[in-house]
Amino acid sequence: MALTKELRAARPPRPGALRRRNTLIGLSFVLPNFIGFAVLTLVPVLALFYLSFTDWNVFGRANWTGTANLERLLNDSSFWTALRNTLYYTGVHVPVTMALSLALALLLNTRLRGVRFFRTAAFFPYVTSIVAVAAVWNMMFSPDSGPINQLLAAAGIADPPGWTTSTDWSMPSVIIVGVWRDLGFYMLLFLAGLQTIPRELYEAATIDGAGAWQRFRHVTLPGLRPTTFFISVICTIGSLKVFDLILVMTQGGPGQSTLVLSQYIYQKGFVQNQFGYASSISVVLFLICVSVTLVQFLVNRRRNA
Amino acid sequence: MDHSSRSRPTRFAALLAVAALTATGCSSGDSADADGPVTLTVAGWSIATTPEFKLLAESFEKTNPDVTVEIKEYDAANYDTQMTADLSAGSAPDLYPIKCLCTFSTYQGGGQLLDVSDVAEGLDETVKTAVEPYTVDGASYAIPYREDGWYLFYNKDMFEQAKAELPNGQWTWDNFAQAAQQLSTADGADAGTYNHVWPSAVQGFANAQSANGYQDFLAGNFAFMEPFYQRALALQESGAAVDYNTATTNSLTYQSEFGTQKVPMMLMGSWYIGTLIAQQESGDAEKFEWGFAPAPQVDTSTLDAPVTFGGPTGMGINAGIDENKVAAAKEFLTYISGAEGASTLAEIGITPANTSETVAESLFSVEGVPTDELSRSTFTNHVIRPEVPVSENTATINTILTDAHTAIMSGSSDVTGALEKAKQEFGNQIGN
Repeated sequence: MALTKELRAARPPRPGALRRRNTLIGLSFVLPNFIGFAVLTLVPVLALFYLSFTDWNVFGRANWTGTANLERLLNDSSFWTALRNTLYYTGVHVPVTMALSLALALLLNTRLRGVRFFRTAAFFPYVTSIVAVAAVWNMMFSPDSGPINQLLAAAGIADPPGWTTSTDWSMPSVIIVGVWRDLGFYMLLFLAGLQTIPRELYEAATIDGAGAWQRFRHVTLPGLRPTTFFISVICTIGSLKVFDLILVMTQGGPGQSTLVLSQYIYQKGFVQNQFGYASSISVVLFLICVSVTLVQFLVNRRRNA
Repeated sequence: MDHSSRSRPTRFAALLAVAALTATGCSSGDSADADGPVTLTVAGWSIATTPEFKLLAESFEKTNPDVTVEIKEYDAANYDTQMTADLSAGSAPDLYPIKCLCTFSTYQGGGQLLDVSDVAEGLDETVKTAVEPYTVDGASYAIPYREDGWYLFYNKDMFEQAKAELPNGQWTWDNFAQAAQQLSTADGADAGTYNHVWPSAVQGFANAQSANGYQDFLAGNFAFMEPFYQRALALQESGAAVDYNTATTNSLTYQSEFGTQKVPMMLMGSWYIGTLIAQQESGDAEKFEWGFAPAPQVDTSTLDAPVTFGGPTGMGINAGIDENKVAAAKEFLTYISGAEGASTLAEIGITPANTSETVAESLFSVEGVPTDELSRSTFTNHVIRPEVPVSENTATINTILTDAHTAIMSGSSDVTGALEKAKQEFGNQIGN
């Protein structure tokens, strides 16, 4: 009798109660962040989907206009220009950034003298104010007095590009600065990824007679696959949403040569108060981001299989 | 995991989110008695560097001891965004300035401005034209208190050094171009003139000085701007004006171009009078003799009453104002647009909408303001036309024309092609 009483006292709480308690503890950790997310992100995003079907202009009612915004979008040449420019930026910026940051990570993963200094130096652009970065790069790109064209002229190039002042070269200029800025951050991720590859694999490969290129091709690249996948996803989304760099460097110009979707959304919404229409462009950008990410996930899954 | 335990916290979080939103959305409005003391709130920006709001408030309070005026500060660069947000949330001040004519339609069309036609009727003759842009279907929705027109600022010392003839108030654009050419070789000068990178520096003159500028602007026929662009391009190609690409890539400021004597001439808004005086005092600008003349004209026909572009800055009453405060708010509008308020502004080097003789007296007695006859007649005798016509499409057209401006001035596109493209874009975004 006494034994059963003791046993009953020592019995752990019912599994249901324990689970509930754990859930509550977990929620209390998540809640502060979730409230912020809900108020500042989730609700506005949900509202955005609704607004994209209205003609809301901040004041007054948001009248339901059905697919009118979408039809307007399809015939809006500025939208197509912005979309083309966004894809141009993303299409060049992502592969170049990934290739260069991987190369930099490989270089700075060796036992170089002063490697810490170089790692820090490479990361520096990422933490520098974008406004200052834009001002300095714009000066360097100055067609007549900028050091870049002076160097090119010294190297014997008779007709150097107009960089940010030319419709053909403005996008490459912005991409160069974009790559330069993001390089350090992705290099850091690649460096972290490189530490996870077991050294024994390299040793085994060397014993098997693999050269440097073969070791890179068959050990490093497969070992980095999770990192590469992660980087390709966030770099792509970041590039599709590029805004600040363009705004401070070229403001979309000259003409519409560097107008990107985020800036077009900003123009339509905050400059022209066409929030309904701006919302529908945002929805399109959102759908592009989601579908590109989905494709990347699918490709990654197939490779892993 | 069972689903019910997951959905409950989600519902809870959603409720919390809604509660938080409701709490921030409801702001309590304060009410006032019709006869008792009234507190008016007025919007302003960059109070530290824009003393006009505080000055107007203080001098108004002196003559109206029953009314207290509180300034609510906004960020200058994001003024319209913040004001729009405050108005739609119902937390905007009782009175707010219309910082740019280009956004007036948004506020007026959105029903955010009270009809102040009764105040407009009592305005001084010199203010009457400035109130026109704020008038829709015969009713006025804002009262201009300051009006900045674009003048030709010139450095007398540099003119003398180059042995060039000073502006005489009779210049056409051709005279201006000749002078710029001659002055571009002056000692230490980067060029004869500096044309700032803003689209308005070309388009504002085109709108104001072309016969059908405003109608064509609103109809999307931008070809009328072509001569103005050809002239601006010719000036920079010959080296008479600082190159646009040099200005954009090096982030040149007009204050340092003229203030540190890099150019002997510059077309700029009259707000620069106050800025230049302050900068010469603080040392940010060099000390030299300067003056201002009317903007150059297209031909000799308008020389007697030179036409320039500019913009009134109007003050409007929030449509959501407490009824008991309306009388005091209108009183405030009458004050700031009247001779007394205008003189208060003029005393700190600001050009008020009211340009009557008493106000001119105040402006030209400020230390540092050039006292020559030409500067004075420039202020009192000119026709300021709006930079852009007011319409619900103005903001959109401005964006289109900004693209055209950057394409033309950077040399990426020829003038005719860029203006034609702007016309197509107009058809695409606004419709024919």
